[in-house]
Amino acid sequence: MSTYKKRYAEGDNGLRFQDLAYIGNFKELEPVRDGIIGDRTMRARAKSKVLERVSREDVLKDQFSLDELNDLNNYLAWNIWDVLVMRATEGVSGMIPRQEYEILAFMNEFYRWPEILRMTTNEVGAEGVMKIGATARREIGIKVNAVHDWCIGAVGFGMGRCGLLALEAIKPHDFVEESNEILKFMQRVLWGKRQDGYILNSQDRYRCAIHDQDVIDSLASQVEYFEPGSEKHEKFTRFNASAELLAFLDHFDNRLGLGDTGPYELPDGKILIIRDLFTNEEVYHWSDACDAAGVPHCYSLLLVIDPEAMALDEIRVNDISTTFTRPKNYIEHIVGGAVFVRETWNTPMSEVYQVKIDDLEKRSEGIQQATLSLYGKLARMSRRQLITNGMYTYYIDMILPHLRIAGTYEKACVDYDFWEIDQRVANYYYEINKRGFAQAVVPQKIFSGEGYLPFPDGTDLRRSKYFWG
Amino acid sequence: MSVIAQGYNSFETAKQPEGEIIFLPNPQSVIKLIQSGKLRQHILLVQGGTTTFLSPALTMGAIGVVTLSGAPESHLGILSREFQMPCVMTTHLVDSDSRYVTGGNNDAHFKSVIDRLQGRRVRLDCSGVEYGKIVEVA
Repeated sequence: MSTYKKRYAEGDNGLRFQDLAYIGNFKELEPVRDGIIGDRTMRARAKSKVLERVSREDVLKDQFSLDELNDLNNYLAWNIWDVLVMRATEGVSGMIPRQEYEILAFMNEFYRWPEILRMTTNEVGAEGVMKIGATARREIGIKVNAVHDWCIGAVGFGMGRCGLLALEAIKPHDFVEESNEILKFMQRVLWGKRQDGYILNSQDRYRCAIHDQDVIDSLASQVEYFEPGSEKHEKFTRFNASAELLAFLDHFDNRLGLGDTGPYELPDGKILIIRDLFTNEEVYHWSDACDAAGVPHCYSLLLVIDPEAMALDEIRVNDISTTFTRPKNYIEHIVGGAVFVRETWNTPMSEVYQVKIDDLEKRSEGIQQATLSLYGKLARMSRRQLITNGMYTYYIDMILPHLRIAGTYEKACVDYDFWEIDQRVANYYYEINKRGFAQAVVPQKIFSGEGYLPFPDGTDLRRSKYFWG
Repeated sequence: MSVIAQGYNSFETAKQPEGEIIFLPNPQSVIKLIQSGKLRQHILLVQGGTTTFLSPALTMGAIGVVTLSGAPESHLGILSREFQMPCVMTTHLVDSDSRYVTGGNNDAHFKSVIDRLQGRRVRLDCSGVEYGKIVEVA
């Protein structure tokens, strides 16, 4: 019997998905756990109301208070730990120097995004930024999703600032104005997407059920049902896995290629997860391997899971758009599915079309061909090329969908040299290879929460970095 | 038959793949294994818990993976579940106190596990909730 709905009852603490505990900036207090109880603890420690349901008027304000900035900093630090700490154990990839490209990208984002996000806000207005988020409510196969939206603040502000503090390139009171710019953009997009006053899935017991009901009804009516273990089940789940793998590979082993929303409860009690797998991103030059194999921008999959058959205890669609369940294996309890295709990033929703499960074979061949070709291409790249390309997957892609919808991507490229790397970060390339900075310091500071130092009391909200020394 | 190593279980499964352990140190070794046509005769031993490194092997039908680092939340952990391919992560030898240390120098630890497992014929027992076992069968 499933018990997952108990997780939505007020007062329920949820399950623990890991044995570890979080301390962060609260060294005098009890360590914080993962999941629902962790969210509650972190919110209880906040000095402001920024982590509660906030109004449209709150979001439209241009400036956070210092307490709000610090509450967001502390909460994001815990949230990053919550979704990523176990990933700190994964070590090197053997293929892509991910720790190295990640830390460089974090820092480049913190330096470069503020003026690009400010320009975009100036172009479309604060309401326009909220509308970018709202786009996700009626479309599938677009990258305005939990992971991209979360990355704006958690990665560009949180990890970027944390990395620069760890490198002693900045001090805690630096770049307050720029931090506000990044966090405001994140808050507006996420609030516009959720429309329930929250900004993060963890605040809503790890639910990301953002699509309007008529959209869900229309999509769910196209699900093909099958028996677990049947040939159709095998075809569908293998397609899901292969497309997901290519999405990871095309995005240099990071999760920007994957976007889950849900869980949505269907009328018969089954639950639906909608999964976007971005298998071909045209801004990456290495995606020509995907072009050659005829792979589209995105495959969106509907996965219908039987919670009773798997005795589902908890399901989390976390803030990096990934679904985790207890028990862990939900694949063998998928009882229905559907596959939709979005050919290019700007294909209108009205032209997104379905491919029947029995017709997936040719599609699977294309995915396999692209995977092999892309792997061979990456295997021939130098370490420097891999790090540079990896940086672009973070620095460009994390805000690319928002700039595309705002219509400011070209302006960012032409007027703001979007694809250029800040000279300081270019120099940090050499620094991050010393003293195990990328491999040891970064995981220690970023995943433990230790490095997210608060803005000191009394810091001027307009303070930037006016003194170099 | 005896359990010689164990690690985090990516997911519970009744599948018990069996094969000779082959350590894959670099992308070239992955490509070579694919080209040999013997992919499905092996349990793959890899250092990291990331997924790109094993992409061709996963998409071509690898039967089981053992990693020296990584957790079920990692990319490889996720993909192993999606492919329903048993996967034991951050593996250590049961008769040794040596363990993987996040961010530490793990060279000696890795070498001891690789030396012990390389070339062994094993079966993966991934029926447990938390831990998967590597059972020597010959």
